[in-house]
Amino acid sequence: MSYLSWRIAAAVSVALTLSAGAPAAVDPGVASPPRLEFTPPAPGSYALQRIQPVRDAVLLDPSGRATHLAAVTTAKITLLTFFYTYCADPLGCPFAYRTLSEVRRVIRADAALAPRVRFASVSLDPGTDTPEAIGRYRDMVAGSSTPEWQVLTAASVRQLLPVLEDFGQDVSIERAADGSARRTVHHMLKMFLIDAGGEVREIYTLAYLQPAVIANDIRTLYLEEIAAVRVRVSGAPIRSARR
Amino acid sequence: MKHPSPFRSGAWLGALLLLTLGGIARADETCNSPYISNLIKGQEDYLHVWTLGVEGLGDGSDKLVTIDVNPASKSYGTVIGSVSVGRRGEAHHMGFTDDRKYLWAGGLDDSRIYVFDVGSHPGAPQLVKTIADLPERTGFIGPHTFYALPGRMLIGNLSNTADKGGLTGLALYNNKGAFVAKYPMPTDTIGAVKGDGYGYDIAVNPARNVLLTSSFAGWNNYMRPLGEVVKDPEAMKHFGATAVVWNLKSMQPAQILSVPGAPLEVRWALAPGQNWAVTATALTSRIWLFKQDAQGAWTARDVAAIGDPSKIPLPVDISITANGKGLWVNTFMDGTTHYFDLSDPEHPRETYQRHTGRQINMISQSWDGKRVYITSSLLSKWDKAGADNEQMLHAFHWDGHALTDAFQIDFTREKLGRPHHMKFTARPGQQVALLGRDP
Repeated sequence: MSYLSWRIAAAVSVALTLSAGAPAAVDPGVASPPRLEFTPPAPGSYALQRIQPVRDAVLLDPSGRATHLAAVTTAKITLLTFFYTYCADPLGCPFAYRTLSEVRRVIRADAALAPRVRFASVSLDPGTDTPEAIGRYRDMVAGSSTPEWQVLTAASVRQLLPVLEDFGQDVSIERAADGSARRTVHHMLKMFLIDAGGEVREIYTLAYLQPAVIANDIRTLYLEEIAAVRVRVSGAPIRSARR
Repeated sequence: MKHPSPFRSGAWLGALLLLTLGGIARADETCNSPYISNLIKGQEDYLHVWTLGVEGLGDGSDKLVTIDVNPASKSYGTVIGSVSVGRRGEAHHMGFTDDRKYLWAGGLDDSRIYVFDVGSHPGAPQLVKTIADLPERTGFIGPHTFYALPGRMLIGNLSNTADKGGLTGLALYNNKGAFVAKYPMPTDTIGAVKGDGYGYDIAVNPARNVLLTSSFAGWNNYMRPLGEVVKDPEAMKHFGATAVVWNLKSMQPAQILSVPGAPLEVRWALAPGQNWAVTATALTSRIWLFKQDAQGAWTARDVAAIGDPSKIPLPVDISITANGKGLWVNTFMDGTTHYFDLSDPEHPRETYQRHTGRQINMISQSWDGKRVYITSSLLSKWDKAGADNEQMLHAFHWDGHALTDAFQIDFTREKLGRPHHMKFTARPGQQVALLGRDP
């Protein structure tokens, strides 16, 4: 059995374990806002790690059409996050939305960079977040301005699970005393910065979710793209990618 | 700029949650990475002990031993399982992935890394992967500290393949077990201090974008009997004497600090407004404080003695309390557990000590500080001999004034081996998984 298979099996196993009703002991994490007490390094003064490629999957767009995940994780620099439309955790989706909006505002001001950047949100709850629901959500968050903001959902949880597993996005749902599922989804807030080649280059969690840092990371990837183009055109690396 | 939120309908609940939960300090039980989720703030259910195999004892292999530590359980205080890795490679430290579902555990001698699934069934971990390419990928050996970054595991190593001395570096793997990058410890001069290239512990302060590393010794020293090492003046020259301040984002060394005497575990006080860290030096028996000066430069200062340094008590593991106001320190040679009041980190004050074993090493405390666990083994070649070579897990209650015995397990009598690093897990709470809502 592959390691990925083990991890998927583990996720299913966790589902069964959780359903068995063990006494509560794990704190899902009381979040506190991140603190930025440093000046983010200048764009291009550092290299982002190549953490992992994104595995493709088939999801649904707001019109209900089957869409390859790769369509929103390649060809542009993408900031991807998982969400659900009714999320109420103040340091979950709403905090992520504010962070994304701030990053988007900063990127939008850079006319050269903005068309090279994409925001993407994938729903954690296909049962509630139907194509129609994510369409309404997209209209609210994205509008018509750049950078583009794509929103996807899945046809089923089973279809979504391998995507969550690939990204390492853990999710669980609270249940009431009678065993029924509550509308409270626990998930570790993560954002994934993906380069145009479809490789995850940074992962932000609440401890390090800083719009200024994220914007500089996006610019760092953009400068990396420019450097690569120059190499292809001139056949020689440029001396510096900093600006 | 304000952004109208599409999540407005939940704002009242969010405000309620903030009111209810907003004042709780952030840290992790037993000083784990700040990126780890699912903190155990209540009663831990299981204690996992990464245990060195002993030839002729049981199967003789390294193993992950699981102990029931919930007093409400019928099997409280007993070994409920162990997973043997089928070989002996100097089991030492381990660390959770950021989602706390997997526990990575390393061997200092064979440089193998074992990944245990502790998320599916915390009481019955499973070995799901073995990573054996660290030496080939990096030239480093002796994986010591496993420190979770989002989606990745940063590994602090002790030695190298070339001469098995102390020159080493950091290795980065993703959570799937694939190699990502390596970062040699600095050997050049930054500021006024020359790097010694040695490595040991890793500790991150995300708010300051700082990664702090300490330095110990290479394979040639830690896999040699301690009695021989201390009598060999040349060997005694090969211990770390620096700490390195890294820019976490760029993974570049920013400062090298002089900390003589082999600085070991590094613990941050991460409460808002704190941002200082401490370490203990093994050979000189001192507590050192890392702090920024008025200009923002990091400094390292010797702030307290641990026991009587002239007797070389050999401080080993330390554990800072969740609020950063207390520090446990174990001294191996005299088997003493010390508690320091850290309310003023510039002047740590020892307020309690107790003899807890003939030899003691690791110490882990619960989030609320009420339970303290101690293991005995330091290194297979450094542990004491004869009757002093007791191999125990001691569990204690701490009421703020004294340690009282809870239970103990004799790892030799149980034919398990030498108990070393400890991590907690707990049964999941009242949650169901997403799978249960499959439409």
